[in-house]
Amino acid sequence: MELSQAVIDSLSIVGDSAHVPNKCYQRLLDAAFDGVVDSEQRNRISGDEAFGGVDKAALKEAYAGLVSCIIEATKHDTEAASLEAVLEDCKFTADRIKAFISSYQERKQILQILLGNVGVTPPHIVDVDWRLDYYIKNNHLEKVNQAVYLISLKTEVPGKPGIQDVQFSCTQEQLQDFVGKLKDATKCLEKISASQ
Amino acid sequence: MEEVDHIIIHSLRVIGCDIEEDVTNLKQFSTELIVSAVIRCLKVINSDVDLPNSLPGGMSAKFRIGTSMAAHIQELGYRGEIGYQTFLYSNEQEIRRVLMFLVDKLPKETAEAVEEVLGASVLLQRTIASTLAQQLNSVWTPPYLKQNSITWRGSPPHWQREGASSLCKFHASHLHIPQGMTDLKRKLPKALRSYYSQSLPYVTNQTVHHNDTSSSVIEKMASEITAQQEWENEWNQAGLASRLSEQEYREKKKNKIRKRVMDQLRQDVQRSGDFAASRKAQDLQQMIDSISSRAGSSTKTKGSRFTHTEQLIFAKDEEKTMSQMGGESEVGQGHSEEEIQNQRDAEVEGLREEVSGLVSRLEQMDLEMRKFTASIQQMEEVVSTQGSTNAEKEEAYTVKKRTLDLLPDAENNIAKLQSVVDGSAQRLVTLANQWEKHRAPLIDQYRELKDLSSKKESEGEKKLEEIKAFRVRMKEVADDARHKDEHLKQLVAEYERMTKDVNRSAYTQRIMEIVSNIKKQKDGINTVLIDTRAVQKEINQLTGKLDRTFTVTDELIFRNAKKDEAAKKAYRHLAALHESCELLISTVEETGVIMREIRELEDQIENESKNKVLSNLEKITSDYQQMKKENTALMAKMKQRS
Repeated sequence: MELSQAVIDSLSIVGDSAHVPNKCYQRLLDAAFDGVVDSEQRNRISGDEAFGGVDKAALKEAYAGLVSCIIEATKHDTEAASLEAVLEDCKFTADRIKAFISSYQERKQILQILLGNVGVTPPHIVDVDWRLDYYIKNNHLEKVNQAVYLISLKTEVPGKPGIQDVQFSCTQEQLQDFVGKLKDATKCLEKISASQ
Repeated sequence: MEEVDHIIIHSLRVIGCDIEEDVTNLKQFSTELIVSAVIRCLKVINSDVDLPNSLPGGMSAKFRIGTSMAAHIQELGYRGEIGYQTFLYSNEQEIRRVLMFLVDKLPKETAEAVEEVLGASVLLQRTIASTLAQQLNSVWTPPYLKQNSITWRGSPPHWQREGASSLCKFHASHLHIPQGMTDLKRKLPKALRSYYSQSLPYVTNQTVHHNDTSSSVIEKMASEITAQQEWENEWNQAGLASRLSEQEYREKKKNKIRKRVMDQLRQDVQRSGDFAASRKAQDLQQMIDSISSRAGSSTKTKGSRFTHTEQLIFAKDEEKTMSQMGGESEVGQGHSEEEIQNQRDAEVEGLREEVSGLVSRLEQMDLEMRKFTASIQQMEEVVSTQGSTNAEKEEAYTVKKRTLDLLPDAENNIAKLQSVVDGSAQRLVTLANQWEKHRAPLIDQYRELKDLSSKKESEGEKKLEEIKAFRVRMKEVADDARHKDEHLKQLVAEYERMTKDVNRSAYTQRIMEIVSNIKKQKDGINTVLIDTRAVQKEINQLTGKLDRTFTVTDELIFRNAKKDEAAKKAYRHLAALHESCELLISTVEETGVIMREIRELEDQIENESKNKVLSNLEKITSDYQQMKKENTALMAKMKQRS
């Protein structure tokens, strides 16, 4: 993990008990982690009265440093040991490092999911509804007698709320082909997962 | 042998043989198991081997498989005796030898791959694989059970994302972060400070959507880091050589860039101005062209109605005036048209001549003017030279006048002049001396200073080079450290994965134990050997002693026997005693040999009994019977066919 000088400077403010008193430290940590993770708490720190005696400008800088450090550490999947070294360079005391690392470990998965959410993807199939219709005849033909499957794939599309339907109809052979393709895809995944 | 069996069974299991858990040594191997294990081994060693995985039912097929297996193994370089009987009528030791050979021949790629240091990509792939495996193993859950498609499950339970509803695109916006707020040395404008402390929102609240916070932070971070690296590179390469302080260098660079931008802009402005001007000129030209072309077209028959009407009107007018004029001239003068024409021509000629005369005169005047200005310049030059000669002459005149004035009292005056000249010469000399006096130390000082400065310069250069070298080394060391860190990480991951493989350590432990056992046994053998040697020595000594005492007593008694009858008897007894003793010893030795033979025979019997001769024989006979039956069946079929 590599941090820019500006972030290191702002982290040093967090590590300095003259600027961030011990009683505020945990509050600041929680606020930073929750501010990154939870959209409802993104501005929680500004309403917090625990920081009454702290210089707001310095607090903003410290907060920004913490947030940057958290996101960067998550991005690189940093181990606790190397994180410790970085924080030590920023003059954190042992207690503060411990508190930071425990908070980090606790929320690491969520943070990683949060970062993993950044990206593009085709619609994601989550469910399927189907119906089998029997097509007996039409105005041209007296006898058709074919099975028609009506498939409705339920997909999740990023950026759209709820579930989107993808509907199509197909004959039995087409459906078999489709199922074969899906099975191939599953097998592919299984192969990858078995190749460790 | 148990250890060997364990190792063999373990490696057979590794390559995928189906060996039951309670099988612990080769004795328990059935014929089918042996055949399948050997075939599996052969297939792993050489993928071209085409043999069925299990033993077929027919006796002749069994025989064929056995021979082809033996042939394959001999191809691999096995040196012992081997044939179909080795597998079908198995003997523990032979099978062990064959299996040991095969296990030894198994490809060791897998082991080597483990020893290789794995790259980061392999590790990444592994994590991907394990995560995928985990997610494949979890059961399907309907989407409405997930909040933003994030679930908490698995064993041990953890957060994971299933589905795509929470994805968002990478969209970074600019973040504003105050810097150096605790640095007392930095001066900030008051307004900015109050903006920072009062109005600026916190980082997580600056973007429009909360989703963009992380991407914005990532981008800001990346850009800062790259800028830092760029700057460092530049500073190392160009900055240090310029010998400016960091700020000065930045200032210089800023100016340079500004100048370049300005130049560029100026050039562009000029170019665009030129372009516009040329465009304008072109436009004008075009306009003129178009007008003229229109005019041209209007002279032709083609034209708009307007031009036609215009033409018509003007033409009428012209005709009118012409006719009027024609009428007047006809009325006023009786001259013919030709005369008028001639008169006019003559007039034109005259005017033309006048004009050309005027022009030539003008040219003449011009030439004269030029001549005059040139002569004026010449004259001025002459005047100035005359002036200077005049001044010289005046000076000469004054000097001569003064000398003439001085002439009447010549001697006195000469003396005076001489003294003046001498005085001035002396003064010059003293001045020169003084100058020399002042000059020498100054020159020395100058040289010293010059030396000093050049030394300083070279020192500075040296230091610069040192600094450069240090920087390079610093970078190298940092890179090295980073590499080593990565290496360490990989190795740690590798190690964590390795711990599953307990067998290895168990094997080494066992090998160590075996080695120590062998050492102990060797020690025991050595002590026994030493003992036997000591005993042999003692025996030799005793036989020697016996021989000597016997000869001595023999001689003594023999000498006495000639005289004494009792001694004769005693001598005879002695001889008998000696003989029977020798006999006794030889019998003892013989019994020893026989005992040894018995032991050997017993060993052989044990070996033979291990070879399962009886059961194998029974098997062979039964197989023989079966073969016979098969043959007769085949014969019967043949007969039926025929």
